[in-house]
Amino acid sequence: MITTLVRRIFPPAWRCLLLVLGGAWLPLRAADLPDLFAERVRSCVTVEFMVENELDRQPVTVLGVCADTNGTIILPASAIGARVSVRQLKDFKVYRPNSATAYHAEYLGQDVLTGWHFVRAEEKLRAELVPLTAWVRAGTPEPRLADEVWGIGLRGKDEDFHPYFLMSLIGLIQSMPQRTAIAASEVGGPGLPVFNRDGALVGLTLNSFGQNFLMFSRRERGVPVVLVDVEESSVFLLASEVLPYLGRIPQNVQGRPLPWLGAFGLEPVDPEVARFLRLENQSALVVSEVLEGSPAEKAGLKSRDIIVALDGRPLPRLKPDQVVATYVEREVDRHRPGDELPLTVLRDGQRLELTVTLGDEPKIIREAERKYFERLGFTVREFLYGDGMARRVKLAEQAGVIVEFVKSNSPAAMGGLEFDDWIREIDGKEVKTYAEAVAALTAIEADQNRPEFVLLTSRGSETAVRRVKLK
Amino acid sequence: MKPATLNESPARSIIRAAVRLLVPPLLAAASARAAMSGDFNRLLEAVVRIDVREVTFEEGARRFVAGVGSGVILSKDGLVLTNAHVASPHAVEISITLPSLERVDAKLVGWDHWTDLALIRLDLDEVKRRGLAFQHAAFGDSDALYAGQTVYAVGTPYGLTRTVTRGIISNNRRYFEDREGVRGYETGAFNTWLQTDAAINPGNSGGPLVTEDGRVVGINARAYVGADNLGFAIPSNIAQRIVAGLVAHGSITRSYIGLVPAALQDLEHFYALALNTGLLINSVDPGSPAARAGLRGGDILLAINGQKVDGRFPEQLPPIQNMIASLPVGSTVKLSLKRAGQTMEIPVVTEKLESRVGEEWAFEKWGLGVRKVSRAFARENQLDDDTGVIVIGVQPGFPAAVAGLAPGDIITKLNQQTLTELETLKRVYQQFEARPDSLLVEAMRDRHVSLYVLKP
Repeated sequence: MITTLVRRIFPPAWRCLLLVLGGAWLPLRAADLPDLFAERVRSCVTVEFMVENELDRQPVTVLGVCADTNGTIILPASAIGARVSVRQLKDFKVYRPNSATAYHAEYLGQDVLTGWHFVRAEEKLRAELVPLTAWVRAGTPEPRLADEVWGIGLRGKDEDFHPYFLMSLIGLIQSMPQRTAIAASEVGGPGLPVFNRDGALVGLTLNSFGQNFLMFSRRERGVPVVLVDVEESSVFLLASEVLPYLGRIPQNVQGRPLPWLGAFGLEPVDPEVARFLRLENQSALVVSEVLEGSPAEKAGLKSRDIIVALDGRPLPRLKPDQVVATYVEREVDRHRPGDELPLTVLRDGQRLELTVTLGDEPKIIREAERKYFERLGFTVREFLYGDGMARRVKLAEQAGVIVEFVKSNSPAAMGGLEFDDWIREIDGKEVKTYAEAVAALTAIEADQNRPEFVLLTSRGSETAVRRVKLK
Repeated sequence: MKPATLNESPARSIIRAAVRLLVPPLLAAASARAAMSGDFNRLLEAVVRIDVREVTFEEGARRFVAGVGSGVILSKDGLVLTNAHVASPHAVEISITLPSLERVDAKLVGWDHWTDLALIRLDLDEVKRRGLAFQHAAFGDSDALYAGQTVYAVGTPYGLTRTVTRGIISNNRRYFEDREGVRGYETGAFNTWLQTDAAINPGNSGGPLVTEDGRVVGINARAYVGADNLGFAIPSNIAQRIVAGLVAHGSITRSYIGLVPAALQDLEHFYALALNTGLLINSVDPGSPAARAGLRGGDILLAINGQKVDGRFPEQLPPIQNMIASLPVGSTVKLSLKRAGQTMEIPVVTEKLESRVGEEWAFEKWGLGVRKVSRAFARENQLDDDTGVIVIGVQPGFPAAVAGLAPGDIITKLNQQTLTELETLKRVYQQFEARPDSLLVEAMRDRHVSLYVLKP
């Protein structure tokens, strides 16, 4: 939406890289830019790694930026999906711009607050990299509307990750809730730094936002489509939202501890509702559900409470409304388990003060144990707190395992098993724990004479008996 | 994929009809032999075209849609049998075209979406006043049908009145259930279907499937659209029972305990069952009488009130379901079960079977169409209870849409008061009409609770 607005203001010619490179109409004093560019390219890298699945290995290529002199590299949050277990991540390799040499790297984990993934490059590469902080110039003011900003794009492996120059003007700066700038056109590859005219660091690009277009073809006329540029982005976090967090290298590969409130579905009120609730110039969040056994529940928070202040500070009015939920999540993520977080809520028109002692979040999906049974054709993983929540199952009744993967045309697939099915019984025997399920399935898999086995599974509100034929 | 229901909008039928005109008419040959039978000719004089205008609330306002179907006159006093998806309680105008090409108004007597049947009655005063005459049809025995037997479908496909097509019974006990098969209402749990290759097209709905002697053995209802000659009809022996119930009570009352059965197929061995016994309980509806009595998915039902059940094959399931449905509401039924090698008897108290589709209404000044949350809908969607109404339509630019409500939202509170009855919402709306004022609405979307202000 925002980008659409920007698009209308600036003519489409802006998008054309050649025009920018040609500098046909930009009022540039371009003489020193190539030198600044050449130096700053040394903070940028391309990182390759593999995600190992049951049947295949998926190569992933992302851009990263060097954070310090120890070879620490920051990758964007989106580099690795939330379901992917650390054990599936293999073969991290780092490439410098303009070089085909691969350097090994180690995955360090994801930081909960920034979402960044951290990797560390091997020793011999470290001297070649220049940390982002080298481009910080004391006293650099926050960029303003219409400021010129520039950054770096990196071509693919077949072009030896050749760096190229991108430049634009700032169209909009907004709190989302982090201070975020949107430029008139692309300013860099996602995850790479952005600089001002003098070469001082002003930000780090985020993934580009979706842009609305109408698509015309011979068959169809004016079909609305959303396009996302995956190679370059026009959106960046300002340096003030980046520099304080460069040191948040996870203490362990799982990124623990994870601060936990346990309030699900924080839904913002719109300005009309805020006015109706007599909340002026601020926002508020409706709590959809309070999770069983969570810190929020222990503190006395109830579903449908309306959170109006955090730590005594009223929730700010942010645009779009949904951003205020992110604001609260980030405030929680700034803390550590054991920290106290005072909340002010509205309940039946009364203001209540509650103090939540944050916990450490129960095991999440990327941490779950899982096992693939090749001959049966499916993967089970342990039943997590989140599975119980999604299925509205009380903690006391949680048992069994979840189907994490089903191989096409395998016995499991032919038996009707699907991803995310909840297995509750194997061969008529209740499955209490993950270990029990693995033991039962391992025995079934090893038995070459067995013609079939039977599962009791749940999907949505229905259960079903599924027979898996092995012969 | 489930076969689709087959009434259609008149606008579309005109276009299709024009296309169909290019196809040489083969009907004369097909019905040559049948025409020799006087009984068959009488049957033709009992088949009618039905034009229905019905109300819909799905655009956030009361709107009317029109459809065309078929029907068969059953009695001298003007009872006409058709499909529930042709004539429903949503109908505001039902008009019947007699074979004499005279049009007569009709009223709904009752409907039963579970078997996709509805009964309407001709306006007999009008018939008498205008001196109109009609024939009525007689039922045949659908249990006596055999695969390969010649049958004829009579109806109004694509608006082409009194079309006769010929085929055979392809299967006389086909089973399929469709949870939303009749305009969003459930169908097929309590009956099997006759499958025929007689051409059945949109507009055939409600018309009879007849034998060569002109006896009605089925009511055509569905077909796989795009497939070749896979049509389905409700057997006459089931229709007769439903007709009697609708004449007597205007509706069919059934009992519900909440079992979702599945065919046992060759799991007999796994469960160590005696030959030809048992029905697999695949699932138990949460919160249902069966769930409260402790039944679980994976249990095997051996007998109902001492009467053995055999549910090895899918087509055996509807009669068993019907056995449970036929028990008096509120009565205790003794279920014999097998679980993990043990047999046990569990008493379950039946309750009244309800549809997942609740009452619908539109609040025009809000631009809001709603449907009451039913117990069945609540169970299906794992809601705590049947509190609230589901938004089924909003009109762009009207208060509900402006506030941000969207189809699928469940309105749970109004001005902080829990909304349990649709009547409460109607009362609030009347107050709003008299004295428009802002209203705080709490609604749930995928378990997320949001607040909205409806402004005049």
